[in-house]
Amino acid sequence: MTTPVPLPNPLSIRETLAGKHILLTGASGFVGKVWLSMVLHHVPQIGRIYVLLRGKGRGVKERFEKIVNESYAFLPLYEAHDGRMSEFLSQRIEVIAGDVSLPNMGVDPDTLARLQRDVDLVLNCAGLVDFNPDVREALASNVDGAVNVGDFIESSDHARLLHVSTCYVAGHRDGFVPETIVLDRTPNGTPIDAATEYRTLQRIIEGVDAENDDPKTEATLREDVVRRLAERGHEGDFKRVTDMVTRLKRKRLREMMAKAGTDRAKSLGWPNTYTYTKALAEQLLAARADRVRFAAFRPAIVESAIDFPFAGWNEGFNTSGPLVYLAGTWFRHVPAAAGNALDVIPVDSVCRALSIVACALLRGDATQVYQCGSSDRNFLPIDRLTELSALGHRRHLREHGDGALERLILSRWDATAADPEHVLNVTNIRKVMGQVTRYLKHGMPEKIPSEVREWADDLSKETESGVRKLRQIEDVLELFMPFTYEHYCVFQCRAIDRHPAVEREFEFAPENIEWRSYWLDVHMPGVRRWCFPEYEHKPKEIYTPKTRFTLLDPPQVAARAPAREDLGEAATRTR
Amino acid sequence: MTSAKHSAAFFRAEGVLVSTGVMSAAMFMAGQRAGMRERALRFGQAIASAPIFALLGQNDRTLGNRVAHLCYRDMSEDRIVVLAEEYVEDVLSEKVLDSGIELMRKAKADGHRVVVLSEGIAEIMDRLREKWRYIDDLVCNRLEYRGGKATGKLIDPVIGGYEGGRWLTQYAAEHDLDLSRSFAYASHGPDLLLLSQVGHPCAVNPDFTLRKAAREAEWPLMDYKA
Repeated sequence: MTTPVPLPNPLSIRETLAGKHILLTGASGFVGKVWLSMVLHHVPQIGRIYVLLRGKGRGVKERFEKIVNESYAFLPLYEAHDGRMSEFLSQRIEVIAGDVSLPNMGVDPDTLARLQRDVDLVLNCAGLVDFNPDVREALASNVDGAVNVGDFIESSDHARLLHVSTCYVAGHRDGFVPETIVLDRTPNGTPIDAATEYRTLQRIIEGVDAENDDPKTEATLREDVVRRLAERGHEGDFKRVTDMVTRLKRKRLREMMAKAGTDRAKSLGWPNTYTYTKALAEQLLAARADRVRFAAFRPAIVESAIDFPFAGWNEGFNTSGPLVYLAGTWFRHVPAAAGNALDVIPVDSVCRALSIVACALLRGDATQVYQCGSSDRNFLPIDRLTELSALGHRRHLREHGDGALERLILSRWDATAADPEHVLNVTNIRKVMGQVTRYLKHGMPEKIPSEVREWADDLSKETESGVRKLRQIEDVLELFMPFTYEHYCVFQCRAIDRHPAVEREFEFAPENIEWRSYWLDVHMPGVRRWCFPEYEHKPKEIYTPKTRFTLLDPPQVAARAPAREDLGEAATRTR
Repeated sequence: MTSAKHSAAFFRAEGVLVSTGVMSAAMFMAGQRAGMRERALRFGQAIASAPIFALLGQNDRTLGNRVAHLCYRDMSEDRIVVLAEEYVEDVLSEKVLDSGIELMRKAKADGHRVVVLSEGIAEIMDRLREKWRYIDDLVCNRLEYRGGKATGKLIDPVIGGYEGGRWLTQYAAEHDLDLSRSFAYASHGPDLLLLSQVGHPCAVNPDFTLRKAAREAEWPLMDYKA
């Protein structure tokens, strides 16, 4: 392994981005929002950021306003531009209605022509990060999206593409993963041609579609529904039968599509549809590298922010979140191989690295692949992470546990990394709990006092809910197993060292993360506040600004302050 | 020329500032190991080492300390740090000797350099130091770590034995201290050398050996409780 030599001219993010026009896709995602907020906060002299959004049932302008008004990711901007947020953002942002999965990104021709002329860089953060999605959605978002953005780059005057992928495109493999795109073979060594594979995947989808539309399938479903309804005394209810068959067909199709994607991915050496489609997108882009100036940016597992927008900011169903959550339950044995890395990288570090690579691309200095993780520079083994999670819960439950049981016992319960076949694994526990539920519901003697009956009924509801939760946990653990147990991977993360950033607020240094304080004081309080409510189906905490942001129409927007003034302003704020 | 030198007040934490010693911390930590089997094993080990520590206490306290800290073996630094925080909050804060803290406060007010010596491990003592703002210097035991896990060994020099006296001479030279104007407060027999080297020794809550020696040397004696 060779360590890249830093290029002679250090990179000034502010100077490079000043006046540059960037098209951002995936702005509603975790990384997209933080990057947008960070760049606007630290580089107000940026040109224009075109935010490509799908309307999702409302106008894109309204959707963007909702995103900005409700997300804590924009807190630093609200604090810095209190009262004039609308003006500040409207001067720098234009929201474009579109969809990367469509040809020409679903953008109207006039706007498209303007973008082709003006855009300097496309930051493609759009993607479906669900590990086990309907393969049609994954193909549209992760592959078609990249291809369409690539088409845009090819047809634009001078734009370059920074395509966000994932380190896990490496697939099922062990050892050191270099920063390269492997074009001709899959992780298990099967020869591959990306264009052919793309067509194969389309044929698989067509096949599944055809199978689901087969009249025999519908007839079988209909028979099943009629029989079930008859058992419940709803014979002859034609409308109800048709509705149920339609719903079942849709559900069945989604399940089959998810399975088809997973099966194809696994047959080629990828653990899931997400990593497989992301890898395919990279390969398709790399095959056009002579026409599409691009860099693939591969973050590892993106987690809570260290300090931007503030310590602990996190969102959604990230990879370590469920594992951390699990460590705080009565379930003790987290399936993980001691010594394996769970390559965690804070979201603000990712956004700093993204900014650096964006500037390198704009300067023409970029290489083709940048991995952004911690395992190569600051290794965090999963057994350490599990113990830290248990200790974090201990610290929290001792003070905030619900009752003596949680404060005294659960706090000391101590999750540990264990073999998935451990006798107390989640599957076995779920099975036992299921048997207890069945006994409480149907196996209790008939002649028992009514108080005992009521108690058993109440308890069976609890255990039933426990079984459902354990089933969810089991599914999640199975999806994460390639990352937590099956493979020992270290992702090279050195290409970015070629571009040392001048500005301290854009310094990328995962080696400086002190994992204990990050995990206990930043990440765990972060996931507890921002992610656990989602796992527990509780309402999400929404930001409420003092003055709501409204995207102003161009005539309402005052002239931009000079770039030099912006620069001074930003420097003052970040000190 | 000696008047230009500084003076110091040396405090042995165990017995002077807190009424509990290293065995209490070792048992607490051993009882909170990850996994029931480890807990049982290491707690048993800690209990077994208690009489050894007591027996060696007057003769070879260095060895006693080494034995007492064996139960930390294979414990992660993360766990020790978090448990140290818990130990200080839940156990040690109840065992603080207010009169000792008052002595420390007075020494600081009188312009002495306040130095605390402890057999306790740094992870615990650093927490106490954050609470006791009078401390200028803390000298305590340090666990050896390899790959993020304690080996069960203490890094030399081990604090708590007769070495305290030799250490004091070197420390005084390094910090330009006039020991004849300095104070020392200690509770255990092995602290005799430490006390005998300062101009103002004081036996606080002394054990049998130190009480006898202090009486013979006509050193001041203090007894107080938590």
